[in-house]
Amino acid sequence: MAEFDAELDARGLNCPLPILRAKKSINELQAGQVLKIVATDPGAVKDFEAFCKQTGHELMNSQEQGSEFVFLIRKH
Amino acid sequence: MGKRLSAGQRRATILEAAKALFAESGLHGVSVDAIAERLAVSPATLYKHFASKEALYEAVINATACSRESYVDAVLRGPSDFASVLRRIARTFVDSVAADPDFLRMEMHAVLEGNPFAGRFFENRWKHFSDYIELGIRELAPQGKAAPVDVPSASLMFQGMLREVLYVKCVYRSERYRDIPLHQLVDRCIDLFLLAIGYRERCLEGAA
Repeated sequence: MAEFDAELDARGLNCPLPILRAKKSINELQAGQVLKIVATDPGAVKDFEAFCKQTGHELMNSQEQGSEFVFLIRKH
Repeated sequence: MGKRLSAGQRRATILEAAKALFAESGLHGVSVDAIAERLAVSPATLYKHFASKEALYEAVINATACSRESYVDAVLRGPSDFASVLRRIARTFVDSVAADPDFLRMEMHAVLEGNPFAGRFFENRWKHFSDYIELGIRELAPQGKAAPVDVPSASLMFQGMLREVLYVKCVYRSERYRDIPLHQLVDRCIDLFLLAIGYRERCLEGAA
């Protein structure tokens, strides 16, 4: 998995909380920086796809690791 | 049911008819014969697609779960403060339920029947609000942006309030609330909820 500039632990959170936290975390980053998100809600996969589609941020990677879902999002 | 339907279309037609019947009478109040009669097919045709009435019921629930509301747009399209997001996800949820009130009727029957599978599903459907409210108040209270209220009770209060709004507007279609649009009634109840939890994030933001 690529390097990242900030990490968001969204484990145990259900929608809309991971998206809301990601929105706030990305606002604190500079364009081009990468946010890593770790979530456990299976719905997060579709949610972060939709999140990136709507915001224009790049979903660099989306992986299932055991019971967790890991996302890398580059701020546009 | 026409012979030209594909297997997928047949399955969807069965699910739709079964959902309407389950919403009217619950799992135990509907027989396979009644579903077959509604579709003008034989029970054997139903058993080709679903092993039992219970399997059909679970398929109806699963189909509803797959079409769950997306709150992504609700989060992204405005301010991120607790109250604004709560209003937007509540609107998304009530719009979804209002478009298909069978969800509420099935939930009511599931409660009466004590069906654990359906119970878990419906609990999960409301979990978005429970989690959001409980975590929100726990973060806001230490900052003085909400009162130190009993968090699980506050969450339950919100859920009961929103469910009752949906009942009077979408199921009973109560005369008493007929002239108040759904969104307006939801907003008014959320105003009361925010008062009850001593929410004052906006006041603090405004003073800053």
